[in-house]
Amino acid sequence: MKKKISLIMCGLLVVGTLFGCGNAAQTGGTEVNNESAQTDGEGTEEVEETKQDASTEQTEIKIWHDGDEAIMKTIADRVNASLAEKKITVSFEKKTGLTDQLQLYGNDAANGPDMYLYAHDSLGTFVEMGILAPIDDMADAGVMGDLLPMTVEAGSYNGEQYLVPVYFETLLFLYNKELWNGDLPTSTEDLYEYMKANTDTAAGTYAVVNQHSTAYNVAPFINGFGGYIIDKDGNPGLNNQETKDAVEYNKKFAALQADGDYNTVTTLFNEKKAAAIIGGPWLISGIKDAGIDLGIKSLSDFVLPNGKALAPYSGVQGVGVMKHAAENKKEAVTEVLKAIAAPEVGIDLANNSNCAPANVKSYEDAGVAGNEMIMAMKETADTAQPMPNIPQMSVMWAPAEGLLAAVNKSGEDINTVAEEFEKQAETAIADMQ
Amino acid sequence: MVIKMKSSKKIKTKLKLTALNIFLISLSFIGLVPILYALSLSLSGSVGALSADLTFLPEKVTLENYRRIITEEPFFTWLSNSVILSVATMTVAIGFAVVASYAFSRFRFKGRTGVLKLLLVLNAFPQILSMFAIFRLFKTVGMLDSKAGLVIVYAGSMCIFSIWNMKGYFDTIPVEIEEASRIDGAGDFQLLWKIVIPLAMPAVIVTAVMVLIFVWNEYLFATTFMLNEKSYTLAGGLYQLQSNDYGRSWPLFSAASIMVSVPILIIFFCIQKYMVSGLTAGGVKG
Amino acid sequence: MRRSNKRLPWAYSLPALILVGIVIVFPIIYTGYLSLTNMNLYHWFDFEIIGFSNYERALLKLDSGFLSALFTTIIWTAVNMALQVVLAYFIAMALNVDGLRLNRLYKTLLMFPWAMPAYVSILLWRVGMYNTEFGLLNKVLTALGMEKVNFLAENTPAFISCLVLNLWMALPFMIMMIDGALQSIDKSYYESAQLDGAGFLARNIYITIPALRGIIAPAVIMTTFTTFKQFDIIYLLTMQKGALSGATLQTIITYAHQNAFVSNNYGLSSAVSIIIFVLIVVFSLGTNRGLREES
Repeated sequence: MKKKISLIMCGLLVVGTLFGCGNAAQTGGTEVNNESAQTDGEGTEEVEETKQDASTEQTEIKIWHDGDEAIMKTIADRVNASLAEKKITVSFEKKTGLTDQLQLYGNDAANGPDMYLYAHDSLGTFVEMGILAPIDDMADAGVMGDLLPMTVEAGSYNGEQYLVPVYFETLLFLYNKELWNGDLPTSTEDLYEYMKANTDTAAGTYAVVNQHSTAYNVAPFINGFGGYIIDKDGNPGLNNQETKDAVEYNKKFAALQADGDYNTVTTLFNEKKAAAIIGGPWLISGIKDAGIDLGIKSLSDFVLPNGKALAPYSGVQGVGVMKHAAENKKEAVTEVLKAIAAPEVGIDLANNSNCAPANVKSYEDAGVAGNEMIMAMKETADTAQPMPNIPQMSVMWAPAEGLLAAVNKSGEDINTVAEEFEKQAETAIADMQ
Repeated sequence: MVIKMKSSKKIKTKLKLTALNIFLISLSFIGLVPILYALSLSLSGSVGALSADLTFLPEKVTLENYRRIITEEPFFTWLSNSVILSVATMTVAIGFAVVASYAFSRFRFKGRTGVLKLLLVLNAFPQILSMFAIFRLFKTVGMLDSKAGLVIVYAGSMCIFSIWNMKGYFDTIPVEIEEASRIDGAGDFQLLWKIVIPLAMPAVIVTAVMVLIFVWNEYLFATTFMLNEKSYTLAGGLYQLQSNDYGRSWPLFSAASIMVSVPILIIFFCIQKYMVSGLTAGGVKG
Repeated sequence: MRRSNKRLPWAYSLPALILVGIVIVFPIIYTGYLSLTNMNLYHWFDFEIIGFSNYERALLKLDSGFLSALFTTIIWTAVNMALQVVLAYFIAMALNVDGLRLNRLYKTLLMFPWAMPAYVSILLWRVGMYNTEFGLLNKVLTALGMEKVNFLAENTPAFISCLVLNLWMALPFMIMMIDGALQSIDKSYYESAQLDGAGFLARNIYITIPALRGIIAPAVIMTTFTTFKQFDIIYLLTMQKGALSGATLQTIITYAHQNAFVSNNYGLSSAVSIIIFVLIVVFSLGTNRGLREES
């Protein structure tokens, strides 16, 4: 509420001075909101020093993210409350295109962040660039011990731990209880039969929709078939037989899933034109707004023809520490890591935003244990594979999705295009060096 | 062109004008279809976001999305940033370019055509590739996160276009008009201000609007070089609004995009009466 | 009489040239410097000069894929420019007919597409117009009893879709330029032409077009460059990550993006950029003739 008022005041102030003097408006805006107090370039260090002396070592930790502001606010509120006594405050700032931004600001102590919170798949990129510090000496077993092993593994690279996982996401089977007829199938074959019987493309009504040409959304099939997009050593696997089988298998589903664009499939589901969607927790607020009677099932409850379950990627959102912050603000950072890893943060996140906490202890909370969606994600976590976090993964999305689009949308022969995109992937990886 | 006409000719003209009006109305309508679509989205409640039915009118008209943009986002801060940046850029770019194009149009000097051609070729370098270099430069001189830095980037990007565009128009203004005043003792700047600019008003305005719209709609530099959400421009703030899967709301996004565009249209509507050259309106003939 | 003076014109254009130097020339030089280094993910801060090996690798990328992208780019530029100039010319003429009272309103409405940030327009078209389920075009087709069309799945329809969108976004500017230029034509020319009995066509060919040429040439040439290096439309409409539409249209910029820039190898992608820049310069020498001034 306070923030709102300050924003409105800020707005009024600015409008008032808008046609008077540009500079006045600028200072007006900054004064109202302390958070944004920032000076240009050179003067910054001195200002920071004086600030520290004056307020008896109040340390501010700036964390960049590219996620949902409500989630970050939940974290910030809890962390700030628990660190208030220690004179540490964290502030979250949203940066769109975080990967590109960190390439520019990653080692910039004056303008850049101290820490960042982001999905783990870009970890390798940041480590190789040399902007991240390992956190072994800042987050000990007391901090890391209670975190789900899968999430901890996702935050390590080349044998060193870089991220403290906060929450994780997996794809889920989300369905509209009003529209779904009968019981949910337990095998993908039965699911397909249901789709065939209940889809009318011409009328625009669908049984199940999925972003069928997005690599992340087809990964449950690829991983379930035993294929891979890229292996641990950085070898692409697009022309691997298992991957090809999975892509070919996914194709028959794709034919019944509209164009597979994010906007299309989410709207179809929210408009009750699709009975089910394969999607993640980020869809929930839209679904709630649309007033849908939502049912949730883990993807690992669906068995593929080979007897294995669908195995989605898991995306772990974790915090990493920039090198300069690890050197200059080590104590504060250590405290922040400890506070963020606490089970209470996970409980708040789960209750406010349906995030699946990385901390095992959070699940002891009744609210969390009773949350259908979170428990479905936790269940999926057993079969889910963390997305690869090697830097080569960043160039794999384009060829992998090129392959999917060529097969699903342009009707090309899988064997030919798989070779083609495998080669493209190899070139892209070679180009990185 | 208005010559005395016989009454049959008058009717013919009327018919012609009617046909022309119908043509322009339908053209405007076709051009506006996507925008009307956005408008109807923005006025609908958040539930019926994109509808599969063919309709322009939302079932329930609400201004909720506009209210949310104004109250939940720092809309007025962004608006004022946009205004400050575009006005400052326009002043710098047009100020510098008017003088330069006057020089290129009125003087003959060694290297003149060379520089003009070089400028044109330089303009071919994709701007997005310049980002990293400018970043390094600004970081060294401490101009990141400052409006002045952005104004330099924007003005520099639009400078070549402005010079070339105004020079082309200046060339059409007969030099003889200036020479009379020069004999009366007017200096270059006086000439420029009192004679050339009024005569070249349409070109100056077109160029200024071009600069204004460029700044107004630019988001990549704005979100990369400014480090705080509070210092974003409207386009930058909007870019950030739609970027993540969690909060993406089409009605909200449409409302925001309409609100970004409207100030430009108002300005555009207002300046049009100045879009007449002194050359034709004032009866100065060459 | 044009004056000649050695220092004054330089002094007048100096501020503008300094700006251009900072924002355009310096980045080109810096890109040239980076193209000689091994700056990439693995040498982010500790890169060093390695000579011309990036150029060797970059030239290897000029394969058949590149050539077909170059071909697409040229067609794309030519078709776009031809349509833009012709359409804008006629619309601007229509807006300037005497006795048209609502012309200010029309002009404002026609400017609307230009007043929106590019990515907004593109997203709006992708979802609002071309989408198979919710796009207006498909809704109209369905209402007419025809089958849905996925406009962006194949190359030819996708090319046309991109073309239409580009025209929609770029026409307002061109109309405005020509409209502004039309104001400079002395109306007395038309009066005497009218007296001579010159028809609509003759007036256009002998008066309007020659008078406009010099004024709009810079704008047309600049727009040609912009169209040549257009990236947003094709990328956001057909090849955005997670939203590939199925079409495999490539222009040289999208090709370079896909083949060099995604790799975070700044050395290599700088070399590719410089090569493309040189290509554009060569291309521009061809259009140079349009700029010759009558001196």
